[in-house]
Amino acid sequence: MHEVGVIKAILKKVEKVMDDEKLDYCDTVVLEVGELSGVVPHFMEECWPAATYHSRFENTKLEMNVIKGMVRCDNCGVEFNAYENDLKCPKCGEDRKHTPLSGRELIIKEIRGN
Amino acid sequence: MSVKVIEVKESVFKNNNERAEILRNRLKANNTFLLNLMSSPGSGKTTTLLRTCETLKDKYKIGILEADIDGSVDAETMKNAGVKSIQVHTGGMCHLDADMTAQAIDEMGVEDVDLAVLENVGNLVCPAEFDTGAVKNACILSICEGHDKPLKYPLIFETCDAMIINKIDVMPYFNFDMDMVKEYAYKRNPNIEIFPISAVTGEGVDA
Repeated sequence: MHEVGVIKAILKKVEKVMDDEKLDYCDTVVLEVGELSGVVPHFMEECWPAATYHSRFENTKLEMNVIKGMVRCDNCGVEFNAYENDLKCPKCGEDRKHTPLSGRELIIKEIRGN
Repeated sequence: MSVKVIEVKESVFKNNNERAEILRNRLKANNTFLLNLMSSPGSGKTTTLLRTCETLKDKYKIGILEADIDGSVDAETMKNAGVKSIQVHTGGMCHLDADMTAQAIDEMGVEDVDLAVLENVGNLVCPAEFDTGAVKNACILSICEGHDKPLKYPLIFETCDAMIINKIDVMPYFNFDMDMVKEYAYKRNPNIEIFPISAVTGEGVDA
């Protein structure tokens, strides 16, 4: 459900890029999906065929690179994977104050076409 | 046939974020404060808004944008209570984005509105992802839903400035731990302001 809305936003941008670059066909869309972005890659894969059905992107492939969700503990300075440590600093146990470093992004990295 | 690789390197939400900022500036120039109100279905958004409108009606001119997939129940409820309101149908979309919000704002007209509230689609996941152009975001969590929701649905609690805990009048009948829900909410967002209320009885609404 959530991923369909995200895919529609992606395709809107891809269409603009294709027009600007005068591409007729988009073979692949490559995304960078942060672990903390709220978007689940598995669901994106599941929704992609339905969201692109009967559109110019019906045969376009989706490729995703997952970006690790890293944060820095504001208490002790340790950098750790928020997702793997359930938002709790593995060194001091701080579970509230962290500075995000990566993993919140959802980026269209590149498109391939001709 | 050769395949070109075109680097884009742009956030999926960049266009929506830009459109949201344009709307925010436009509303600011008009002195209209837009609040984005989110929650799961049945938490009491409409009832809370009715109570809020009744409490503030002599202080502010209020307009309510009701967003649902279908139906006009909420907008009718507002209009019957004498509140300026329109119904937005998302046609299956589970959230509103900045363009849809701008369209709704234009349709309702905010020239004479001090406080506009967007009652977003009932959903604890998707609405939090899209900037609607609101100045502030708020969410409602009702007692019946349980105190663990801030742990299960992090993004909405991270993006909200305020959390209204509704239906406190039925707390004796549920295993809802007020201290735990606050601890979990602060874990997601140390700056979130929390308001326990009962929209039905009026308790806590003055806060």
